[in-house]
Amino acid sequence: MKLLIVEDELKTAEYLQKGLAEQGCAVDVAHNGVDGQHLAMTHDYDVIVLDAMLPGIDGFTLLRTLRQAKQTPVIMLTARDSIEDRVRGLHDGADDYLVKPFSFLELLARLQALQRRGRAQEPTQLRIANLQIDLMARKAWRGAERIDLSAKEFALLAVLARRQGEILSKTAIAELVWDMNFDSNTNVVEVAIKRLRAKVDNAFSPKLLHTIRGMGYVMEARDEPAGEMPS
Amino acid sequence: MRRSITARLVLMFALCVLALFAVIGAVLYGVLGRELTRHQNDELNTNLQNMRYSIERFGDLEHWARLQVKMDTLTPADGSVRFWVLSDDPRFLYGKGLDEMERVNQGEAGHGMLTLPISGRTYRTLSMRIGALAERPPVRLIVGVDTAPFEHTLRAFLVALAVLTLGAVALVMALGWWIARIGLRPLQRMSEEARSLQPRTLSQRLQLERLPVELEDLGGAFNGALGRLEEAWQQLEGFNADVAHELRTPLANLIGGTQVALSRPRSAAEFQDTLQSNLEELERLRSIVNDMLFLARADQGEAATGLTSADVAHEVEMTIEFFEPLLDETGTTVAIEGELRTQATMNIALFRRALSNLLQNAIAHSEPGSRLVVAITPQAGATWIAVTNPGKTIAEAHLPRLFDRFYRVDSSRRDAGEIHGHGLGLAIVKAVATMHGGATRATSANGATTIAFSIADAGRTP
Repeated sequence: MKLLIVEDELKTAEYLQKGLAEQGCAVDVAHNGVDGQHLAMTHDYDVIVLDAMLPGIDGFTLLRTLRQAKQTPVIMLTARDSIEDRVRGLHDGADDYLVKPFSFLELLARLQALQRRGRAQEPTQLRIANLQIDLMARKAWRGAERIDLSAKEFALLAVLARRQGEILSKTAIAELVWDMNFDSNTNVVEVAIKRLRAKVDNAFSPKLLHTIRGMGYVMEARDEPAGEMPS
Repeated sequence: MRRSITARLVLMFALCVLALFAVIGAVLYGVLGRELTRHQNDELNTNLQNMRYSIERFGDLEHWARLQVKMDTLTPADGSVRFWVLSDDPRFLYGKGLDEMERVNQGEAGHGMLTLPISGRTYRTLSMRIGALAERPPVRLIVGVDTAPFEHTLRAFLVALAVLTLGAVALVMALGWWIARIGLRPLQRMSEEARSLQPRTLSQRLQLERLPVELEDLGGAFNGALGRLEEAWQQLEGFNADVAHELRTPLANLIGGTQVALSRPRSAAEFQDTLQSNLEELERLRSIVNDMLFLARADQGEAATGLTSADVAHEVEMTIEFFEPLLDETGTTVAIEGELRTQATMNIALFRRALSNLLQNAIAHSEPGSRLVVAITPQAGATWIAVTNPGKTIAEAHLPRLFDRFYRVDSSRRDAGEIHGHGLGLAIVKAVATMHGGATRATSANGATTIAFSIADAGRTP
């Protein structure tokens, strides 16, 4: 994925560039609106991450100028969660927005969602190592053994499996599974993961559901079988 | 234009004087007019009786000639009093312009008004018939008094009255202005005193005993406002201290943890551990900051947007479903009671957020295996959602403050294993209620605590 980051805050730009490059993206960075506009207009990016407050040309102006020529997907970064900013951004043609302070995981999830947008229909069967999930029949197997899951447990498993290898924060999981669109300071997700793990992972090998401390959870088949600390 | 009390007072004084003089003037004018008429009538009567006596006694021409001389004598040169005698016999006639008289004065005996067509003078008249005697046929005697002096007097009176009124109004306006200035001086003193209040000395108040009785209310209200401001200010300062305290703990952990990690050569795994620990603290900071921003927006009067009509019981169910893993874990059950078919206009995400904060508190503060109740009650233009949990009764004194930011019933609980929540949960419930034009309430008795919020029926009411 080829990305352009337009962000004047040097530290933010630096960690975004590093983090996204490590995720396998080709990242260009511009530290002001003028450079950003030039790069955005002359290159073809998959997604542009655009700060609203920029020296030179501000983000909204840049976006309007860009939209006259190109339909490159844009994620706006705003400092204030004000409705006007949001409306203005979406009206001017932003595809998504994030409010600072945002988490890197969230940005990653939005980028992947934007990329996924154009993709063909999702598969109905998922397979991770010996875990097999039938999304249509809402059934799951570990090897030959059928795993008995409640509706929400299956939804949780499906959310994680669909995004295998992608770290999902607790907030993102709460939103995707229970439609709770806010930072809930509860340990509900932890408990739900623990219960899911008991059914899907505990009696089987390899372990698939991993906790990334401080960040969230990821479902993937890892090479090393040991060393994982369930939370 | 801004209204001035002085100008208003002066204007009202002036109107009073004007009204007073108008009434007095009208009465005096009426009295004067009547008196002048009476006076003229007296004069007419006297002259008429005098002449009648002379005419009635004699009927011959010799006396008639003498009578004519007498009437000539009695008629003043300016013609202010006039006599006329009319009869069929041309010898017994008297008065100037008799032809006119014949034409205009066809009235019966008694009082009348008469305007002579040629001279244009108006006379008040009195006439009578006198029967025939000897040579003299029946005659008609008319006495007239010119009304011009009478009208002149009335006019002069009116002019004097008008001049006097205007003068009085002007004088009263001047006096009124002076009185208003003096009368309003305490107000000036009060504003000087208010101006001298210092921002640093919040406990300073206006000296009520130095104010006149009429200003005591205003002074009291002003002092009341000052008191509320002081309280709000102190709350804000306390709040700032709370925020600082809340942020200090994660910051201290971050700084200390990082310093320790960097002070010796360490393995990658150890650094990873430190970074993960840091990330947890940072997430805590982010969560506090986000919640504070949310509360600040609610404070600024931002109303809930994205309102939709929703089935309250359904939203309650959905929120409870979110907590199901936790409820299963603790063996806690939740019952939904009340009016289950209630519809309400709400922002669903905000509603769920508020309710999940309440549920989270209820689960945290009740024993495992408890039965929680969510009650839905439509009531006077709002829908109340109340969450009740069995648990330690909260002392009365704490209840009104539960919704304050960072308020904790038990200050030691701060560190007593409460990993989740940072003392803003109920403040957010209150903010959500406010954004929906609703309110909050908390009750606690007999080992059951109920915390409730409401949303107004038509969304936010201004």
